[in-house]
Amino acid sequence: MFSTIIKKSLAVLAITGGAFAMSAAPALAEYPEKPVTMVIPLSAGGSHDLNARIITSVIPSYLGQAMIVRLTPGAGGQKGSLEVARSPADGYTLLFSHNYLDMLQQYVDDLPYDPMEDFIPIARVNYAAASIVVRADSPYETFEDLVADAKARPGALKIGHSGNWGAFFVPAAQIMRELELNINMIPYPGGGPAMQALLSGDSDFTMAFPSALGELLKSGDIRVLASAGDERIFEGVPTLSEVGVEGDIGYMHRFVLAPAGTPPEAVEKLRTAFAELAVDDTFIRLMGTLGESIDPMTGDEYQVLREQQSVTYKELVDALTSQ
Amino acid sequence: MIEQFIEGFGMAMRLDTMAMMSIGLFAGMLVGSLPGFTTLMAMAILLPISFFLEPLVGIPFLLGIYKGGIFGGSVPAILLSMPGTGAAVATSRDGYKLTQQGKSRKALDMALFSSVFGDTFSDIFTIMMIFPIAYLVMQFGPPELFAVLLMSLIIIAATSGANPLKSLIMMALGLWLSFVGTDPLGGSERFTFGLFELKSGIPLLPMLIGLFALPEVASVVIRNDGARKLSALVGERLKFAEFRRCFKTICRSTVIGTMVGIVPGLGQIVAAMMGYSAAKNASDHPETFGEGEIEGVAAAESANNAVNGPTMVPLLTLGIPGDNVTAILLGAFVAQGLRPGPQLFEEQGATVFAILVAMVIANLLFLVIGYLSVPFFSKLVTIKTSILIPLVIMFAFAGTYVYRSDPTDLLMLVAFGIFGIIAKAGRFDVMPLVMGFILGPSMEYAFGQTMAMSGGNALGFFVTERFGALGVLIAAPIIGFMLWKRLYGAARTV
Repeated sequence: MFSTIIKKSLAVLAITGGAFAMSAAPALAEYPEKPVTMVIPLSAGGSHDLNARIITSVIPSYLGQAMIVRLTPGAGGQKGSLEVARSPADGYTLLFSHNYLDMLQQYVDDLPYDPMEDFIPIARVNYAAASIVVRADSPYETFEDLVADAKARPGALKIGHSGNWGAFFVPAAQIMRELELNINMIPYPGGGPAMQALLSGDSDFTMAFPSALGELLKSGDIRVLASAGDERIFEGVPTLSEVGVEGDIGYMHRFVLAPAGTPPEAVEKLRTAFAELAVDDTFIRLMGTLGESIDPMTGDEYQVLREQQSVTYKELVDALTSQ
Repeated sequence: MIEQFIEGFGMAMRLDTMAMMSIGLFAGMLVGSLPGFTTLMAMAILLPISFFLEPLVGIPFLLGIYKGGIFGGSVPAILLSMPGTGAAVATSRDGYKLTQQGKSRKALDMALFSSVFGDTFSDIFTIMMIFPIAYLVMQFGPPELFAVLLMSLIIIAATSGANPLKSLIMMALGLWLSFVGTDPLGGSERFTFGLFELKSGIPLLPMLIGLFALPEVASVVIRNDGARKLSALVGERLKFAEFRRCFKTICRSTVIGTMVGIVPGLGQIVAAMMGYSAAKNASDHPETFGEGEIEGVAAAESANNAVNGPTMVPLLTLGIPGDNVTAILLGAFVAQGLRPGPQLFEEQGATVFAILVAMVIANLLFLVIGYLSVPFFSKLVTIKTSILIPLVIMFAFAGTYVYRSDPTDLLMLVAFGIFGIIAKAGRFDVMPLVMGFILGPSMEYAFGQTMAMSGGNALGFFVTERFGALGVLIAAPIIGFMLWKRLYGAARTV
């Protein structure tokens, strides 16, 4: 009795194993053979985390393997970045990063890796465009009002931002530099607390991404004065370039990097999977519910942006730190 | 609003909601009780499941994980003196002493009942007072946070031991350790000696396990009392009379915890310590605190759970997440098409009330699940010492490593373990050190923000614009001195 069970199960195993081997045979040496890890160098619950949870629930159908999120926060994102830089360049470890961490941090800190030399871009997933926001009862009706008052009273206006050299600090500093303003920049531990400071009257204006604005805008608590972006995001609200601030300012790009030296087949496979992901219906629906956009860009296209960023950020940091 | 509430109440009464919530509670409790795994991690990993569930099933599921996780964290704190989070530190103080006296089941029962009580009443209070709380939350900015944190540290130092000098030395050491790493405001490196491993600062978990668990292991090994007689008492339940004796303390801690929850940025750690200090101060026998006083467990656990209700308020009324846990909940809300914010109540009032009601139901479900699980947990310590001690050591190292998979953390664990053993031998209490370490960075950040806001003239800023914060700053040392005098002043003159 017992031996027949064993015999039967052995037979089943042999058949399924054989079938599996045959179906897998042509793909034997092909990437990916095992799950791919995507390292997020930022903390749990942040926008990168939420985006990644959606990416990794959909991408397996295009990659043919699971993708696992690994959160490695620390040292302002350097810990996770270093982990990927040092991991084998076999396509099984990727980094989900953003442009300030990727290209700006090298000028304000001693990095244990070289972002340009150690990584190649796989794909940009999307970007978030920062808006300049005031309370609904603020005296500033337009971006020009704000600029005029900031010019008249140097150092008196307060902007609450989400942390030094972060996604709102950098665009604010770029705008200040472009328009020759002097504004008191108050850091807050994240975008949420910065928004709360605006609402409670502790700061005069702040910056925020569209996904954090919708409801407060609808209820009439806040007013948007200008937004980054090629096109207007909010009706009647000018883009930054319309109010005289030109360039790659106010965009937080979310993109995937691989260690330099990753085999071209693996890079190709990953790039294809991310391109297919961007047109997947479930992906589009889930990103839509999160209020995130989908703006795919190939790795090569994004590399051009990275190279520009490395120049503009260096200028910015030099200008700010030389004062 | 009343109709919305009644409608919401009906919506929450669903079998699948309860079922998923129970699964969440159980999963959260398991994860929380394993050192090194955090509730936050569990929520982040299980978040996508909620995307594919209905709002009234998915969100209660996540809330279940959250609530179960907080209680789970107190299990190793009580049984092994191994607090996995700062919130469980105050619990471990008397909880572990009770375990040593063989009363682990009593301690766990008390932790469960007081957690559920604190949580339930703060949730009910939140439901009734959601708009006044939303107004109050807005009154707290960085200067107020700084003042309240400073007051908390002074109270902790004043109430933690008879020798205030020793407490202050340990707290200063804790504050100094919190400086190690990258300065959160300026970005410059401090005390890192150029080591990349120290750049993100000293991690909390290896410190907690090293300071609290390893010295206990060492003392058991040194005493070498292999044949502990625990089994006779281990199964003994909490008596109703004991619960009634602590009832006043539980109520006080619930109020304290709810108030702490209203101040953005304070959180469970401060609540637990304040609840504990207040109970000790109000007691006729403060000397029993820290020696296995079940009232201490009740005070800490009801306070840290009472924080949960009010912390949901900025999320629900403004759509602003105050911490990582609420950030994950925000993600879950948004993915369900519920956009938290001022209009959520107008458009989806019934659903919001249904979620709030589900929070209260989660507490009651948890009472049952917890009550059934406690006997299994409490038997853990009846394992023979010769097996238990190696197990504890294994959990300490594995838990530390699994936290961030960083081998440096193991060195930290050993270093803090040795420090803890020395401190214990010298009768230095490590509690003020840990509290200084945990609260230091928030206080420093708030201080830096205050300075930036004031444009350099902090004194003028406090006097003209931030009168409330100034009042707290002036009152803090006076309150601290009075507390210390009441608790220890008389004893020292004898």
